[in-house]
Amino acid sequence: MIRLADRNWSPYLAGGLIGLLQIPAFILMDTGLGASSSFVTAAGQAALLVDAGVQEGSYFSKYLLFNQSFLANKYLWQVALVLGVGIGALFSARLSGMKRRGIAPVWQTAFHLQSRMARYGMAFFGGFVLLFGARLAGGCTSGHGLTGMAQLAVSSSVVVMAIFAGGIASAFLLTRRD
Amino acid sequence: MSIDVFLIVLLGLAMGLVFGVALEKSRVFEPGVIVGQMQLRNFTMLRVFLSAIVTGLLSLALMNGLGLVELHPKAFVPLAQIGGGLILGLGMVMAGACPGTVFAQIGAGYKDAWFILLGGVAGALVYGYTLPLFKHLMGQSELTTYAVLFETPFWMLALGLAFLITASLFLLERWRPSSAELGRDFDGV
Repeated sequence: MIRLADRNWSPYLAGGLIGLLQIPAFILMDTGLGASSSFVTAAGQAALLVDAGVQEGSYFSKYLLFNQSFLANKYLWQVALVLGVGIGALFSARLSGMKRRGIAPVWQTAFHLQSRMARYGMAFFGGFVLLFGARLAGGCTSGHGLTGMAQLAVSSSVVVMAIFAGGIASAFLLTRRD
Repeated sequence: MSIDVFLIVLLGLAMGLVFGVALEKSRVFEPGVIVGQMQLRNFTMLRVFLSAIVTGLLSLALMNGLGLVELHPKAFVPLAQIGGGLILGLGMVMAGACPGTVFAQIGAGYKDAWFILLGGVAGALVYGYTLPLFKHLMGQSELTTYAVLFETPFWMLALGLAFLITASLFLLERWRPSSAELGRDFDGV
């Protein structure tokens, strides 16, 4: 029996549950799980405040929330999805008493980071690199990794191999493993 | 029209809720687990990732096989996708997150995840504005899915791959039980 108060579930069970979310995603939204487009929506909406030019003919145009027919708006759905991820993790952590504070210990053990400010700077830069790479690849570990792989997409198999190659090489070059 | 917006947001939130709970319970959202996977010392991410692909493959094999849904594979753009994937991998090690797990980290209480989110939006912003400078360098390929490439029915190939991945997960569990990777504080460290 699995319960919301459990501190952990089997990774196979939790992973299997995530994959089943493709059913409502494909049937109701005609799309699959993804996360990185929501960052483009956020960036485009922010850009729109100062640059009306993003509305048409820019990379951001199709990601804007109120620029197209609502029925087909998978970007609105994805923004709601990632917000839901935050709420779900909040509930899950609260119900099992796993509330996290501050930063994870791995930043001290693997990177020797001593101050919280140093970690904040690295997190910002890491996020920047993460999304620049994801958009260049045309998707992330969800869009390509989960949804693309489940569709046997050639593109996604190449992206997933590149992600692991880049990640493993970076970890061996940048982190302390002992 | 506002009812559509309401329903879409509600659906997204409900599905995200399940996604978020699964990410938190599997511990895969932990920075220590994600960095640990890339250090090849913790395989939780691979277990969750491959399991999700298996049920995704089975779901799509059924739905597409019955003609209920169409597939939407992303176009193959070799240079951009190899380069983008490598950069994304570096970003995962620096951020200790991927674009989806950032939100789970925020929800669970990690403070630095807010900065990953901000940096991510900045990265998407800079990408969108600089794309016209290098877009012409990306050549697109005609390849779509392996089912098309091998001229095999999608459902058949999907079931075959699902079986192969499941078998390798059994071997992984036998080689290294997942319970041994939880870490002192369920954070994989």
